[in-house]
Amino acid sequence: MIKRYNLILFVVFFSLIACEKDDICIEGSENTNRINITFIDYSNKQPKSIDLNSIRGIGIDSIIEGISGTNLKLPLKVNSSKTKYLLEFNQDIDTLVIFHKTIHYYLNRSCGYISNFIVKPDTEISKDYGWIKEISIENDSIFNEEKTNILIHF
Amino acid sequence: MKKKQIFLFIFSSILSINSLFSNTEKIESDSLLKKDRIININKFRFGFDLSNPIKSSSNNDNFSYEIVSDLQLTDNLYIAGEYGSIDKLVEDENINFNSIGDYLKIGFDYNMFKNWVGMDNSIYIGLRYASSNFSNKVVSYQVRNIDAYFSNLVENDFETVNHENLSGSWIEIVTGIKVETFDNIYLGISLRLNKLLSDKKPENFDNLFIPGFNKVTDDNTWGSGFNYTITYSIPFRKKR
Repeated sequence: MIKRYNLILFVVFFSLIACEKDDICIEGSENTNRINITFIDYSNKQPKSIDLNSIRGIGIDSIIEGISGTNLKLPLKVNSSKTKYLLEFNQDIDTLVIFHKTIHYYLNRSCGYISNFIVKPDTEISKDYGWIKEISIENDSIFNEEKTNILIHF
Repeated sequence: MKKKQIFLFIFSSILSINSLFSNTEKIESDSLLKKDRIININKFRFGFDLSNPIKSSSNNDNFSYEIVSDLQLTDNLYIAGEYGSIDKLVEDENINFNSIGDYLKIGFDYNMFKNWVGMDNSIYIGLRYASSNFSNKVVSYQVRNIDAYFSNLVENDFETVNHENLSGSWIEIVTGIKVETFDNIYLGISLRLNKLLSDKKPENFDNLFIPGFNKVTDDNTWGSGFNYTITYSIPFRKKR
């Protein structure tokens, strides 16, 4: 009898509530940076404003809407070593192929990994239509978004 | 006449030797009884944890288990230990990884429960020293990125790393109960508060989970655990 009573007691004790605290990644923690592209004039090598009709990443259906200005920031693929963009200017579409070293850096549990990139020198333009005259690498490492990484001459 | 005296002498001496021997025997058994009160090895229990195999099979993980055992030293003091092997997919907020490893915990349990005659239950507190050798193999993770134009999911085919040869050691404060539900069969539950002493961290990752210790949090070195056990006691002596 006593043993049966014990069994009931045990089953009652069996119920256990588990609580877990959620970790939240603090706003303002380090983040994955985009590539910083500056457009310059082919002849005088001075920054020049541009009106792009559309930008689209290859393999992605959605279009990044047209952008105007001298400066453009684009995300790179964190799970690949190359990123391709179609840049449309005056109905001409050129393909920008960025080869990059992708380096994942661990922050903490709540933020996980971020990605840094190093632009490789074989980054190129495939000149389908040729509105882009030349491309040059200014800063190959992408650890922040302030410095210009590549220059597009047009 | 002489013969009779000699016979009496031998007889009495045998008797006296006999009584001398029996006397010493009594003393020995007395001292044994006294010793019995200090060292009282009546029980050796062994068994296994019920929660680990159930959890691992319901999560479609490989088989995980924990073997538990304890040996009675005195009336209330036990040497206790656990050995476990874990193979578990840990799904964390950003990172999924496989944690594979073994652990060993050794220490003491002290029973604080006064049993009625014929009962053998315990409510105990205990202390363990534990260590684990393990590997954490990253399966997939979500890269932190403001921009979600491309997928930020990184899977096996790109740069996921198996962090091997990791280790950790910690101290556990244990509280639990053991209840004899059938003859020599005990059901038990124990709660554990773990304090991490040291761990070997992987490069460019962290020990978010240590087999045996469970979840490791960012901001402190405390953890927790529990087990539900079923143990069988080998009866060394018949109960009085």
